[in-house]
Amino acid sequence: MNHNRLKNRLLAWLANRCAPLRRRFIAGYRPERYEGAIPWTPVAWPLAECRVALVTTAGVHHPGQPPFDMHDPDGDPSYRVLDGATILGDYRITHDYYDHRDADRDLNVVFPLQRLRELVAEGIVGGLARRHYSLMGHIVGRHLPTLLQESAPQIARALCDQRVDIVLLTPG
Amino acid sequence: MGLVQRIIEAAGIPTVGISIVREYSEQVRPPRTVFLRWPFGHPLGEPDNRLQQRAVLLETFRQLYAIDVPGQIVDLPFRWRRENYADYVSPTLAELTPGAGRDQERD
Repeated sequence: MNHNRLKNRLLAWLANRCAPLRRRFIAGYRPERYEGAIPWTPVAWPLAECRVALVTTAGVHHPGQPPFDMHDPDGDPSYRVLDGATILGDYRITHDYYDHRDADRDLNVVFPLQRLRELVAEGIVGGLARRHYSLMGHIVGRHLPTLLQESAPQIARALCDQRVDIVLLTPG
Repeated sequence: MGLVQRIIEAAGIPTVGISIVREYSEQVRPPRTVFLRWPFGHPLGEPDNRLQQRAVLLETFRQLYAIDVPGQIVDLPFRWRRENYADYVSPTLAELTPGAGRDQERD
């Protein structure tokens, strides 16, 4: 592991233990403000009739998939498709910008698939998509257009194709 | 995360995001956000804390139906470990149904 990755991991660890560092960490990655109209789609159905999908920026992926690129300071704008049937059994998290030891132990901390299944079993949620989507946060600079013009629209189309009614997004 | 959320919502799917950095959500302005001032890497809470994770999920869904102003950020009332999650009262089915916010106003 190179010097920069170690530094990022150490800062991420410290950010959860020291309030001033947390503030500096947050300020260092503050995104630009998006003005203008906010997209809006009304919820059409009761939750008990809705198919829910998860989209996470916590850097989760299957063991066989390429890890997110942690060497590029502008981030990695690609995404991974997560198979809901197998992801809980074996997964990896590649993300140096937050301390994911707890999520390594219990994926529900960042990707609450097991909890959602329980809500489906109770009849509170209608059902779940088979496929969910994973990215990493901290995408800036030259990779931002790739995220906005390629990855995110592709994910949105795939969610529409799966007839997903509601998307829940979780960070790392 | 909020940028991806905006694009999914614009494609015609309602979305709600869990934020642990309020400042970022205020900048990016996703359609619906619930906020928790919790450690990075723990939007649903602590590992193996099923009741805590379930409460966050259900409260997020409650806000999915309650928020009727685009860009609204709702601060969830949970105080990390200083909370008895066994006492959490789940939303009623009516609160997880479209129009829940308007019904509350009429009451």
